[in-house]
Amino acid sequence: MNRQRNIILTAILALVMLLPNFAKASGSNEEGGINVKEILFHHLGDGYGWEVPFSHTYRIPLPVIVRAEDGSWHCFSSARLTKHEEVVNPETGEIHTETIPEIVSIEKEKDGKKVTYQFVLAEFSKHKDKVVQLFPISDSEEAKVKSQAAAQEDKVVDGYVGVDGTYYREYKPYDISITKNVLALLIATVIVTAIAMSLVRYYRRKGDKAPRKGMGFWEMLIEFIYDGVIKSTLHDKAKKYASFLMTCFFFIFIMNLLGLIVIFPGGANLTGNIAITLVLAVMVFVVVNVNGTKHYWKEIFWPDVPLFLKFPIPIMQFIEIFGIFTKPAALCVRLFANMMGGHMIVITLTLIIFIFAMFGAAIAGASAVVSVLFSLFMLAIDVLVSFIQAYVFTLLATIFISMSDVDEHHELHKEAEIIDNIKEIR
Amino acid sequence: MELFTPDFGLVFWMFLAFIILFAILAKWGWPVILKNIDERADKIDKGVEYAQEARAQLDSARADAQKYIEEAQIKQAEMLRDAAKMKSQIIEEAKNEAAKEAQKVMDAAKVSIEQSRKEAELQFRNEVSKFSLEIAEKMVRNQLSNDKAQTELVNKMLDEIEKN
Repeated sequence: MNRQRNIILTAILALVMLLPNFAKASGSNEEGGINVKEILFHHLGDGYGWEVPFSHTYRIPLPVIVRAEDGSWHCFSSARLTKHEEVVNPETGEIHTETIPEIVSIEKEKDGKKVTYQFVLAEFSKHKDKVVQLFPISDSEEAKVKSQAAAQEDKVVDGYVGVDGTYYREYKPYDISITKNVLALLIATVIVTAIAMSLVRYYRRKGDKAPRKGMGFWEMLIEFIYDGVIKSTLHDKAKKYASFLMTCFFFIFIMNLLGLIVIFPGGANLTGNIAITLVLAVMVFVVVNVNGTKHYWKEIFWPDVPLFLKFPIPIMQFIEIFGIFTKPAALCVRLFANMMGGHMIVITLTLIIFIFAMFGAAIAGASAVVSVLFSLFMLAIDVLVSFIQAYVFTLLATIFISMSDVDEHHELHKEAEIIDNIKEIR
Repeated sequence: MELFTPDFGLVFWMFLAFIILFAILAKWGWPVILKNIDERADKIDKGVEYAQEARAQLDSARADAQKYIEEAQIKQAEMLRDAAKMKSQIIEEAKNEAAKEAQKVMDAAKVSIEQSRKEAELQFRNEVSKFSLEIAEKMVRNQLSNDKAQTELVNKMLDEIEKN
C-alpha cells in the first residue's frame, strides 16, 4: 500500500518535472509567449470542427451547411476548409504543422450553366472564423482595398475578406452548419431523451418497482424538481407546465455537464453561449406571456398604485412592460454569464502554466501544480454550479409562470410564497 | 465580440432541438414518468397505511386472544370447581341412596325374618303341640292303663301348664 503510493507520487513528480518541456514546446511558437485572449476565445467559442486531445491540427470534421448569395444551399465537410502545412522554424530547425484556411470550390449546374461557388474560413474579415462566400474582384478594386487594409491595424476592410494576401468581396451566408456547439446540442438532446425514455421503458417493464442506481438518481432529480420547484409553486397548475419546465431543467443540466467534460462528447461551451440561453429565455417569455391571465395583464396596464403614477404619464405601465422583457433577459444573461465565467476561469488557470513557461522550468513546474489543483477545484465547483444554474433557471421560470398564470383570489397567497422562494435563493 | 452576438445557425438548431425535445418528452416522457412516480407514491402510502392498520388489527387480535384465554381459564377453573362439587354431591347422593336402599333391604329382611320367625314359631308351636300331643297320647296310652295314674298325670300336666 505504502509502496504503491510512493510509486504514484514519484510518477506525478516526474510528470511535473516534465511539464515545463511540454509547455515550452507548445507555448512558445511565437516570440514573447502566447496569445491568451485568442486561446481563451477559441475555447469559449464555436468551431467548424471538433478538437481532439493531443493533436493541434486534426479536428473531427463536421458538415458545413450554408446558403449562398443566389439562394442555393451547399453542404461540405469542414475538413475541406483547412489544410496543413509543415513549417520549419528558421532558428531552431524544428518542424511544426500549421493550419491554414483553404478556399472550398463547389461547382454546380444552375439554369444549364456551370457556376462555381467559393467558400472560405474567414481570417482577415469582419466575420472572423466564420465561413463566408467569396467573389473575385477587379485589380483596381483590390488595390483600393489593399491600401485601405494597410491603413488598418487588423487588416480588415468591411465587406471584403483577405485570403493569403489576396482580397475578395465577401458574402456572409446563412449558416446552419453542424458546428461543434450544434453537435453538442444534438448530443445533449439525445442524452436527455435517452434518460427520460429509459425511465419510461423501465416503468413499462417493471411496473411499480422503484429503479435503483443510475435511473434512481434521475428519478430522484425529477421528483426533486417536480415536487420541490414546480408543484410547490404552481400547485394545481403544475401538471400543465411540468413538461416544459422539466425539459428546460434537464436540457440545461445536461448541457452544463457536457460542457465540463474536456474531450469529445463534451467540451463545447454550450450554455455559456448566448444563442442557447437566448432561445431558452425566449421560450420562457413565450410561455409566460401566452398563458398570462386577465389579471396579469391588468396588473401591467392598470396596476394597483396611486392614480398619478399611472394616469397622465404612464410611468408604472412603462416599468411593467419593461419588466416583461427584463425578466427573461435576466434568465438569459444569468445562465450565460455563470457558465461562461466558469469555463473562462478553468481555461485561464490552465493557461497560467503556459504564461509562466517563459520564466523557466522551475517556476513553470510549480505553477503547473498550482494551476492543476486550482483547475480541479474550479471544475468541481462548476459541477455544483451546473446544477445550481439549471435549478435557478427552472425555479425563476416557474415563478414567472406562476405570476402570469394567476387567479385573483390566489394572488396574495402566491406572492408571499414567491417572496419566500426568492429569499431561499439568495 | 463574437461571444455576445447570438449566432444564427446555433439559434436555429437550438430552437429546433428544443422544440423537438419538448414535443417528444411532453408526449411520451414526463407525463408517464410523473404519473408513475405519483402512482407509486400513492401505493406506498396505501401500503404503509395498510401495514399500520394490519399492525393495529394484529395488536387488537392479540389482546382479544389474551382476553379469550383468560376467559377460558376462568371458565375452566369454574368448570373444575363445578365438577368437583358435582362429584362430591353425586357421591353423597349415591351414598344416601345406597343407605336408603340398604335400609329398605334390611327392613324387608327384617320383615321377612320376623315373618319367617313367626311362621317358624307357628310351625314350631304346631310341631311342638303335635309332638307333645303325640307324646302325650303315647304316654297317656301307656299310663292310662290305670285310672289313678291317669288322673294323677292330668293333674300333674295341668300344674305344669299353669306354672307356665
